Parts: sequence; C-alpha cells; structure tokens
Amino acid sequence: MTSPLPVVELRDVSKSFGNVRAVKNVSFTLPRGSVLTILGPSGCGKTTLLRMIAGFDAPTSGEIFIQGQPVSSVPPYQRSIGMVFQKLALFPHMTAAENIAYPLKMRRYDPATIPGRVERYLQIVQLSGMGTRRIHELSGGQQQRVAIARALSFSPDLLLLDEPLSALDKKLREEMQLEFRRIQQELAVTTINVTHDQREALVMSDEIIVMSDGAVQQAADPVRLYREPSSRFVASFIGLTSLLTGRATKIQAMDVAIQVGNMVLKGRTADETIQNGAWVECALRAEQVRIFPAGKGFAEFDNALEGVVDQQIFEGDRMVYQVRCPALGDAPIFVFDHDPAHHQFHQKDDSVRIGWNAQDLLVYACSDA
Amino acid sequence: MSSSDTPSFQYPLSWRILDRAESVAGLWPGRWSSLTGYLFLVPALLLVFVLVIGLVYIFDYSLHELDLSTYRLKDAFSLVNYQAALKSVTYRIVVLRSLGASAIVTLITMVLAFPYAYVMVRTRSSFTRKFLLISLFLPFFIGQVVRAYGWLIILGKEGLLNTFITSLGLPPVKLIYNYPAVILGLVQYMLPFAVLLLAPAVTSISEDIELASEGLGANWVQTFRHVVLPLARPGLIGAGVVVFTLTLTDFAMPEILGGGTTDFIANSIYDGFFQISNPGLGAALSMILVTLGSVIVTVVFFLAGTGTLVSTEGTP
Repeated sequence: MTSPLPVVELRDVSKSFGNVRAVKNVSFTLPRGSVLTILGPSGCGKTTLLRMIAGFDAPTSGEIFIQGQPVSSVPPYQRSIGMVFQKLALFPHMTAAENIAYPLKMRRYDPATIPGRVERYLQIVQLSGMGTRRIHELSGGQQQRVAIARALSFSPDLLLLDEPLSALDKKLREEMQLEFRRIQQELAVTTINVTHDQREALVMSDEIIVMSDGAVQQAADPVRLYREPSSRFVASFIGLTSLLTGRATKIQAMDVAIQVGNMVLKGRTADETIQNGAWVECALRAEQVRIFPAGKGFAEFDNALEGVVDQQIFEGDRMVYQVRCPALGDAPIFVFDHDPAHHQFHQKDDSVRIGWNAQDLLVYACSDA
Repeated sequence: MSSSDTPSFQYPLSWRILDRAESVAGLWPGRWSSLTGYLFLVPALLLVFVLVIGLVYIFDYSLHELDLSTYRLKDAFSLVNYQAALKSVTYRIVVLRSLGASAIVTLITMVLAFPYAYVMVRTRSSFTRKFLLISLFLPFFIGQVVRAYGWLIILGKEGLLNTFITSLGLPPVKLIYNYPAVILGLVQYMLPFAVLLLAPAVTSISEDIELASEGLGANWVQTFRHVVLPLARPGLIGAGVVVFTLTLTDFAMPEILGGGTTDFIANSIYDGFFQISNPGLGAALSMILVTLGSVIVTVVFFLAGTGTLVSTEGTP
C-alpha cells in the first residue's frame, strides 16, 4: 500500500542571501486537499519559503517537489500555482472579470469556455454581477474575493496565501478567514497559508508549522500545537503566556518540581533530558490560571499563590489581569477571567490569590543554557 | 536665578528661523487663511503671465508686413506673413522635417529609455543603480551645445570615426550635416529627460503585480505587453509629449549637426528675426510653431484621457 502522492514536498530546503541564512533545512510534505499554515514572526523566513514554492526565488540547496516532480528549474509561469499576494497585486487596469480571466487567457484555455469559468468563480467568491467593476470601484473585502478567484480560476494544484488578510480590519479579517475556509473546502484545493496571526493559523489550518529564524520550530495540527507546544518559543508565540525561569528540583517521569524565587511549583515536561538542578523555563497559558480575592480558598489547585494586581484590562468577553507574585520574584503572571457570574473585578493593587494545575505549567530545558 | 539655571536644551537653528518666519506670517489675517495656498501660486502665475505678454506681442508682430523701404513693420494689419510662410515650399519642408524628426526621435528615445528606466528602478544592485543614475545626470552638466560639438569631434570629416575608417584604407564617410546626424544628436539629448520621466512610472508598478502575472501563467513578454506597458502608459505618454515638443522646438542640434542643411522651425524663426531681419515673418513662424505644438499636445491628452496628467486611480 502506498499513500497517495503529496501535492507538495520540501526536502531540506535552504535559502541564503549573502551571509544571511533566511531559510534553514525546511522539510515537509502536504497531502492533497489540506491546508498548511506557516506561522512565525516577521523576518522568520516564511515569505521566502513561499516565494521559493511559487518559483520567484530558487532554493540555495534542497529541492521542492510539486506533484512528485522537482520544480527548481521550472519558471513560475509553468507551475500550476495560484497565489494571493499580501497587497493582492490585482491588475488595476482591468475589470474584476478580466483579472479572473487573465490566467485562463495566459494558459491558453479555449476562449469559448472562459466566460463560463469566470462567471462560475465570481459566483464561488460571491461577486456575481460585479464582473464589470474596475478594481478601484470595489471595497477591500471585494478585492480580496477577486484575488482569490483569480488565483483559483485555472484550477491550480496548489494555492498560496501570503498574508493577504493582514491589511484588513479585525471584523473583516475574521469574516474572510471563514470565507477562505469555505472556498477551500468547497474546491478541496491544497493550500499553503503564511501568516503571523496565530488566531488565523488556528482557524484556517489542518496543519501548522511554526518558524523562527528560518528554521521549523514545530509542525503539528492546531490542537496539538496549542496544547503541547514543543518549546518555550512556540508556547509564547501562540496564546497569552506567562514565562518563568527556575531550577528543576525533583523529577518523576513527566512531573517536575521547579524552584522559582521562594516557591516550589509543580509542572510537567515532555523533555526526558532535564536533570535535577538544571535551569528550566516554564510557560503558563493565561486561560489556565484562576483568580480569587485574597483569603478565599482554592485547595483544588496544585499551585496556589498570593499576588497583587498590577494591571487589569477589560476586553468585553473577559478580563485580562497581570498579577505580580512576590514569592516568584515579581515575575508577572497573566490571567484570563471569563467568569460572567461573579462580576467582581479586581482593581489595581488589590491583593488576590491565583492558582493553576501542574499539567498546565509546561517546563522546557533552558534554550540558552 | 544664575545663568547656570538656563536650560541646556535649545531648539535647532532651523526651527528658530522657521518660528520667526511663522510669527511674521501670523500677521496675515486669519479670515484670509483659505487664500494662503493660492498665494504660493502667484510667482509661477506671474512667470506664465510674462510669457503670455511676450506671445501677445509676437502675435501682434506677425500681423504686420515688413516695409522694405524702412525695414520696419507697417502699421496696417495684414496676413501677408502667414501667407508667405504657408505658401513657401521651403517652410513647408521645414515644418514637415521638424514634425517628422519629432516623431522619429520620440519613438527611438522611448524604445531606448524604457529599458533604461526599468533596470534603473528594478535592479537590486546599488552599484548598477548608481552607475545608471550618474550616466543619466552627467549629460545635464555638459549642455546641449557642447554635446553637439562632441558629436562633431566623433563624426566630423576628420573625426574619430573617419580617422578609423581611413586607417582601414576606406574613403571617409560623410556622417554629419545630414538628417540622421541631427536625429542621433537629438535622441542622445532627449534620453535623460525621457528616463527621468519614465522612472516614476516604473516605480509606481509594484513588483508583486509583475510576479502575480508570472504566477498566473504569463511569461515576461506577455507580462510586459499585458501588465507593464498598460500600467506605464501615463508615464509613456507624458515622457513622449515632452520629448516630442522639445524636439519640435529644438534649435541647437539642427543648427550645429545639421549645418544649415536640415533647418527646423526654430532655425527658420531665428533666421527670420536675425538673418533677414523680418520680425513679422519670424513672428508668424513662431505662432505657427506654438499652434502646431499646442494642437498636438491637446489632441494627445484628449485621446489619452485626463488620467495621464494627474493620476485618478491608485494602484492597489
């Protein structure tokens, strides 16, 4: 039994600009119909990676395969890849329909079939009847839709998205994320999406690759990536995360006791190489921490601390507290409070108690040890 | 308070000068502030106005016949000068020659200037960009007349090229005092203007748009034809109009490289005023030149649309 051929495969792809290694030994395979998001801060090499897949840059070493064929010597116009650019790069001198027809004309489709195809793709992106509009007569969201239709009208093997949503306001961006997901599933097109927006990555992807400094940090599905980040970097890049540094004092399989400041905290690690007495870094998600007024009991938590509210931010559906714990050497702990029932907000400088369970304190070996 | 208490921080000199200037400007009554912007137009408008006065005088000259007994213009109005100019085969040839040269020079210059501007804008090598920029500006420091003489040195009867040809045992070739020499000189003269006018047009086309076209299946020839050229159209038309009108009104190149054999309209105007001392005829020729240029430019802009002069649509 052989698994079906992956649409995209990268083998050890690297790219250097002068002395700068922008992409370092990246490998992955992408099965047909799935959505991969490459997530990372700006400058992490994710856009360079995308440009190499599109054919606008050549890898310094390694090889990219599309439908099993090596493509390093294939120019972009002979690859079957649709790309939506960050700034869309629509043709301003053409109408929406002409933009969508452009790849069909360039790829020598039978002229008789082009109007039907253009109409179909206008329909898919819900722009029926807008084909004759010029690009500058369309709203930002409508321009997005034209860019998607243009990238898909020739049924490419692969769709590339280079942060096309980053310029939109939050509401429209979230709307378009769902829209992308709908179109992607409707057409079952294999997609690689590049973004620095963790929410977008979680919403849109089957698989996420987190990159930093040109190298892959972790590749996993969204749930695993969120629940089991493999490093402090991944843990801090996704979600609101408090970071603590301490010394491992007692290790029993995955359970670790960590001395932070004057406190011994209970945590959990997947790293079997951590030794007793080693410096470790701990990551704690804000939604895993509970907050109570000072003096209220919460015996059910593995870790419980006294602290003082440094800052409170009202976000509508939740409060975000930044709590300073003297016992931890004043390291700030972030807390989400979603509880709609108690309606009791802690004010700045209020004394509070916070608690969380051992399994939520993720322990990593010190990266710069 | 002792002097040591004075704050050590001081506004930069340029800020202080501007503050003074602003306090003077504060004397301008506030309710006229909506007119302030127009105030800055006044010097330019004055300059244009002076030009218009000159043009009115020239128009007046052109309507008076030269009295050959006094060598002054007669008081009576007449269209004799226009009749003379339009009926003369010589002048008709001069006008057609100027128009033809303008068309040829414009075409050649645009074909040469566009790749130059494109590479200058798009190159990733700062050395290449600097080299192209310096090569572009160098001719500006030399001036048209000196450059024309430069061509004489190279193309003249005993110039560099002919020295080389005769050293090969071939008879010398007549390379100057003809139409192609004038065209050559003019193209070289116009090239920097055209490149400077085309560079912003190329800059305004985002590289992503060209990449998008490639990714959608167009090779570079198709990308050039369907994307780059249409998007550069305003710049091409603007640069074309400038090159065309500068050539149409040029004096030095036909004078020096044409050597009297290939006069343009400006040379005839000069002759009218200073050689045959007939300001009426010279003025009439000037009016014909102004009208010709204005009509052509108006027609081009009318056909190309107003977007050519002021961009009305942004590039998303």
